[in-house]
Amino acid sequence: MLRSVFGKTLWDQRRGLLAWAVGIGAVGVLYAAFYPSFNNPDMQEAIKAYPKGLLEAMGMTDIGTAAGYLGSTSFGLLGPALIIVMAAALGGGAIAGDEDSGRLDLTLAHPVSRWSLALQRFGALVVAMLLVSIVLGVALIAVSGPAQLGDIGPANLLATSVHLAALGTFFGALAFGAGAATGSRGPVYGLVAVVAVVGYFGNNLGQRITGLGWLHEVSPFRLYANGAPLSHGLQPFDLAVLAAAAIVLVVLGTLAFDRRDLAV
Amino acid sequence: MAEMIRAEALTKYYGRRRGLAGLDLDVRPGEVYGFLGPNGSGKTTTIRILLDLIRPSGGRILLLGEEPRRGGPALRRRVGYLPGDFAVGGGQTARQLLMHLGWLRGGVAEARIEELAARLDLDLDTRIGSLSKGNRQKIAVIQTFMHDPELLVMDEPTSGLDPIIQQRFLELVAEARAAGQTVFMSSHVLSEVQQSADRVGILRDGRMIAVEAVETLRRRAVRRVEIHFDAAVDPGVLADVPGVTEVTAQGAVLRCRLAGRADALIKALARHGVESVSVEEPDLQELFFAYYGPGEEEAPDAA
Repeated sequence: MLRSVFGKTLWDQRRGLLAWAVGIGAVGVLYAAFYPSFNNPDMQEAIKAYPKGLLEAMGMTDIGTAAGYLGSTSFGLLGPALIIVMAAALGGGAIAGDEDSGRLDLTLAHPVSRWSLALQRFGALVVAMLLVSIVLGVALIAVSGPAQLGDIGPANLLATSVHLAALGTFFGALAFGAGAATGSRGPVYGLVAVVAVVGYFGNNLGQRITGLGWLHEVSPFRLYANGAPLSHGLQPFDLAVLAAAAIVLVVLGTLAFDRRDLAV
Repeated sequence: MAEMIRAEALTKYYGRRRGLAGLDLDVRPGEVYGFLGPNGSGKTTTIRILLDLIRPSGGRILLLGEEPRRGGPALRRRVGYLPGDFAVGGGQTARQLLMHLGWLRGGVAEARIEELAARLDLDLDTRIGSLSKGNRQKIAVIQTFMHDPELLVMDEPTSGLDPIIQQRFLELVAEARAAGQTVFMSSHVLSEVQQSADRVGILRDGRMIAVEAVETLRRRAVRRVEIHFDAAVDPGVLADVPGVTEVTAQGAVLRCRLAGRADALIKALARHGVESVSVEEPDLQELFFAYYGPGEEEAPDAA
């Protein structure tokens, strides 16, 4: 683990990653545990009483099936919200955070190029995203019997975990690229928050608002969720677009990082 | 290869603030070079340019004959670097960190790390977070020396070290020099480097204002001399002796300051009965202040 920047990054983060995995897994399972009590006619009626616009805004249009329920709770709101917070922390920390604390000087004074450092650190972020998402998927598979999630099936739960990891990777790349380019962490979190909120509501509402349809089209949340991986499994094209966008962000950030001075 | 480090008219601007204003520098193979200057004079800026952490605004800089930017990782493999501010994660032990840093250089024998730690009296298996500043600085020293680089670049290496460990550090420097390694270290106090340095360069406001062999400084330095005579003497006996100033007499004891050669003083004393003569080691710091005037060490740190 200590032989490379990649291994050392994960090793340094091991406790944090464990905490994130447990936290996100627990939140996902708690939500899932409520599905049996949700899945009855009274509750469905109660939900339908909410204004349709509100339900659409929150992505809760199809809450009567297991896939619809999970897609609007564990995988719809809180899962993505948590993984985006985690991605922002890891992505902003990878270069900008290390630089803020003055630690980057020592590593880069060693025989490690800036590109190598950036790619290894980002590689560690991708692994972290996959790890936490797959823990969530496995936890949901484990409780899918008692939680009556049976019609989703383990393959689609794991496929959705991969989609979640891809969403996290995209936001991680945004934080990483912005942090690498600027060397300061503060603005990175603001940027991620804005893109996440605009992307989320843009995906759910963009089509309904004249002139904002493009927001729906470019939203990372469309690529993450609209292929309905809980029902249809992996959506390779959507994943590829998210990954390509992440690569562009990382490359642009690292190009700037390679040219600029490290902050003191 | 000629110089280990060579800078010509090196400039660095941070926005509109000037870090370096045309620095000339040459460090020869095998020497120990003391890079002196008050805080904010550009020492750290120069060193960070050498390691390619920041890029110069103008002029030329060569490290082992190559531009730092072009030389990249292969060039840095041949250099040890001790940062002015040794910031590392507190959750790891010194051993874990040093092994990791060694791996980044292709691997360093654990026995070598243990040997250096024993010499500096550092426990390798304590969490870094619970170590004192001095003990952290020992880790910084070890990671600079452990791979026996051709060139050691150190920014205020002795800060935080107690006098005994400072002495051990100077032994390491002397050994490195004996092994043919070149040492370039900065300090804001001459006394820290005068013992080990062959030459010192004095930096002020981003420019080199003097480069001297320490031997020359020593020769030029003013020494305090105290002479105990057999009987009371008149301070006038040293009145016209070249290099002697500030003569004061107190019974049979005469005190004075001596600049340069001691020859004339000794010959003047030879006419009297002398009980003992003590000559204080020259305080090179005084010479240093002759360039700067005291008090400038409080200058704001521009790093």
